[in-house]
Amino acid sequence: MKILSVSTATNHLSVALNEDQQVIVEKNERDERNHSEHLDPLIEEILKENKLTLNDIDRFAVAIGPGSYTGLRIGITTVKMFASILNKEVVGISTLQALAKGVKEPALVITGLDARNDNYFAAGYISGDIPKNVIPDGHYKIDVLIKAIQEYAAQNKVDKIVFVGSGLEKQDEKIKALNIPYEYGTDEQNVIHAGLIGQLAIDAQPVDPDKLLPRYLRRTQAEVDWHKKTGKPFEPDSHYVEEV
Amino acid sequence: MSEKKDIRILAYESSCDETSTAVIRNGREIESLIVATQIKSHQRFGGVVPEVASRHHIEVVSQITKEALNEANCGWKDIDAIAVTYGPGLVGALLIGVSAAKAASMATGIPLIGVDHIMGHIMAAQLKDEIEYPALALQVSGGHTEIVLLKDPVHFEIIGDTRDDAAGEAYDKIGRVLGVNYPAGKTIDAWAHEGKDTFNFPRAMMEDDDYDFSFSGLKSAFINTCHHADQIHEKLNKYDLAASFQAAVIDVLANKTIRAIKQYKPKTFIMGGGVAANHGLRDRMSAEIAKLPKADQPKVILPDIKLCGDNAAMIGAAAYNLYNDNQFADLTLNADPSLELPYAKSMLN
Ligand SMILES: Nc1ncnc2c1ncn2[C@@H]1O[C@H](COP(=O)(O)OP(=O)(O)OP(=O)(O)O)[C@@H](O)[C@H]1O
Ligand SMILES: [Mg+2]
Repeated sequence: MKILSVSTATNHLSVALNEDQQVIVEKNERDERNHSEHLDPLIEEILKENKLTLNDIDRFAVAIGPGSYTGLRIGITTVKMFASILNKEVVGISTLQALAKGVKEPALVITGLDARNDNYFAAGYISGDIPKNVIPDGHYKIDVLIKAIQEYAAQNKVDKIVFVGSGLEKQDEKIKALNIPYEYGTDEQNVIHAGLIGQLAIDAQPVDPDKLLPRYLRRTQAEVDWHKKTGKPFEPDSHYVEEV
Repeated sequence: MSEKKDIRILAYESSCDETSTAVIRNGREIESLIVATQIKSHQRFGGVVPEVASRHHIEVVSQITKEALNEANCGWKDIDAIAVTYGPGLVGALLIGVSAAKAASMATGIPLIGVDHIMGHIMAAQLKDEIEYPALALQVSGGHTEIVLLKDPVHFEIIGDTRDDAAGEAYDKIGRVLGVNYPAGKTIDAWAHEGKDTFNFPRAMMEDDDYDFSFSGLKSAFINTCHHADQIHEKLNKYDLAASFQAAVIDVLANKTIRAIKQYKPKTFIMGGGVAANHGLRDRMSAEIAKLPKADQPKVILPDIKLCGDNAAMIGAAAYNLYNDNQFADLTLNADPSLELPYAKSMLN
């Protein structure tokens, strides 16, 4: 099975072509602010070099979130359209699970993306071929995340924690206070690799391309404020959009 | 004589709070038009929230692609180009249309065309009637108030624009003061027809000999009038307020546009943008042009009311002209939130 996978979830752009478990090629562009300009040409480059067309791809995979909202939408819109038009399978893979997969040794992997002001899009996974989720993907204040790690460690044997992602070193004091051996991810581990997304995609359940949407893990500030002010419930998003 | 092949364009528009797709034949014929509007969502906030807009766009974009093709009774093999608005607008919103159109172009091998949203608004007229060039357009929308000279179907030049608020923006802001939810233009227009111009609001820059506009003074005068009345517990007639505001807007727009028509002598006069749906403005422009000497009267094209607001049909119409001019985009096409039509030399000083 040929899998084309994409991550535009952070400022690191990654595209990979996998054949079953094997990563045939992965291309990355670091510190890129212009995923919109670079994503399609990068995909095209990979296809050309491997003498393939989009039609030869069996399954598309994408980092579904969390991550930069605008970034996520670029990658997801792109694969959603590919799959919808070419009648191919598409799967969304947790950005945080993909990060966790970069850690090979046995450990509790805390994956986190800096969401400013001591907030993180974060989760806990047990390392492995398919990292197992133990602290759900969510938007955490650092203290809440630390507490979740403590609670997990109180009930499970944790020999080592690896912190992977962005902006976690800032929290070194709090992390040290956990009193569990820990280390930080390497530069390679701290970025999202499309090749790993492709590997996770094999066991993932394909979804209807029309329903492939980012997992933002946060409502917009405007909606939160509106809800607080009016006390009105949130309706499903589809209720707010009407064809006229 | 061989018959010329039909050119079909699938177009995307997602610059603000409407996600829209359309199939347009030969730049003139609407074979399908799907408009998914988010107004109900943004009404919760009293105006468009960009992140909310982007979230809604991605929810519908692949679905309405299929709907546009189905409704037009065609498949990808019948499509000659894929067009998309790439600016101006909200960057996150634009990116959904741009990403979708590029992906569609890659998946199908169909060429891509990037369209300026304002060129699109102006080309809504082409879906109504044939434009003869040179033409002159009054572009009045939520973010733009411009007089544009069209030398030919693809060369447009701004000869006048607003120095502050756009006309539609002014409608929405004074609407808020009157308790009308966004977008307020349509309601204010309806109220205006029930009232009289009793407040004599200022007509800024009307007598200046350029083609520029300013609406912030009018907006302030309006708001001050309402606040003052509030303070002295006087109740003002909302219909007269609306009529007075609208009369001031229309006087300035009509005055300057007619002067531009006299100077540039276009063969066609066009209106475009959401405010081009304004009944008062449409009637006034038609009446003023009818007063010109017969020989100086341009043909008048007022787009269908439902094509004045944002829609993909107008993008498909504009894209057809770009197609004929061989203006294609490649896969590096990006959203350009502050894209602008070129300014005429007279404006560059
Ligand atoms: N009948 C009307 N009279 C006056 N204004 C109107 C009328 N109908 C709609 N409008 C105004 O038109 C505007 C919306 O137009 P449009 O959708 O073209 O603008 P936009 O896409 O937000 O901005 P732009 O096209 O400049 O980027 C709103 O400000 C709305 O109040
Ligand atoms: Mg518009």
